[in-house]
Amino acid sequence: MIGCYDFCGHYEWTFGWLEQLGGHELVRDYWLEAISEDSQRHAADLIVNQGIEGMRKYWQHTLEEEAADHVMTSTDEVYRIDMHQCPSKGFLIKNGLDQYHDYCDHCMGWIGPLMKKAGFVVDHEHNHCGQCWWEIRATDDLTPPSQPGNLSGKSDVRLMPNWKSNLTDHYDRATDPDDKTTLP
Amino acid sequence: MIHTSPLPYTDTKPVGAADFYTAINATFRFIINRFGRDGLLRYWQQLGSRYYAPVSQQWSKGGLQSVADYWRAFFDAEPGAEAEVSLLANEVCVRVTTCPAIQHLRAQGREIVPTFCQQCYFVSEAMAEPAGLTVRVKGGNGSCVQRFIKRSACSEAQNMEDIASAS
Repeated sequence: MIGCYDFCGHYEWTFGWLEQLGGHELVRDYWLEAISEDSQRHAADLIVNQGIEGMRKYWQHTLEEEAADHVMTSTDEVYRIDMHQCPSKGFLIKNGLDQYHDYCDHCMGWIGPLMKKAGFVVDHEHNHCGQCWWEIRATDDLTPPSQPGNLSGKSDVRLMPNWKSNLTDHYDRATDPDDKTTLP
Repeated sequence: MIHTSPLPYTDTKPVGAADFYTAINATFRFIINRFGRDGLLRYWQQLGSRYYAPVSQQWSKGGLQSVADYWRAFFDAEPGAEAEVSLLANEVCVRVTTCPAIQHLRAQGREIVPTFCQQCYFVSEAMAEPAGLTVRVKGGNGSCVQRFIKRSACSEAQNMEDIASAS
């Protein structure tokens, strides 16, 4: 039986398996069709119908279940997550699993299309070491992402000593996993 | 650090997150839609022989005792699972009275891939073969019996009709 305890391990292995079979497009299709539209359809139901309140409900449940070390900050205009220790990437690092070249892209791979459908855009950075931040605003809200510490205070992951890495991916008002720049 | 768990990949939390069963089910559906049954069987077999290769190595070294230890630890880490593992002379018998995946998918109102339970034969067989073992599965759709038998002590092939369609 394939279990949920080591899910992140065989999930990451599956990205590599699909990429070998059908290239990057197949991996993107998998994140969209299997994860965003099928597996996580309960997230879509909440967020499309309830907006930021739906985001609060979805991530409060799921990040608690995954025992994620994180802080959520939200107002009526913006929903922010500071991920201090991602349980998913952390599992891969802990177990030395590295089958796919950029595991962290899977989050934007399924969340991005969902947010587009719900009328939101995403500012996001991940450092490939288990830390990331997200700010999600309505598509017609042109407010730029917050400066470090301005929205989530001392919980802002960008203020943490382990935030800086050699390879940080940056998304600006994005909904597509490939719409990113990589910062040294 | 000495690795003491019978599980090859370990987490900081003792039990997995049940919501991931929906992703496992959706992954099977995606592969079968794109590549048909043959594609799904290839996925299961390669997952078993590659991703779970460390388990096969443990079973090769540790024999049936390590097979029993693995499945006890495995079901202890699956939320809502009820399973009994017996170590016998030529096999390990795993009686699953509550399959955590089927239970969760039903509770979430998900359409379960009908061949969902066949993973337990094809993935496990790919894990067992390098260790000189073979697998027989009977039942499914919520409860089943999985036997991990020494190849030398098993002559009958797996009858796929013994594995129930999931719903």
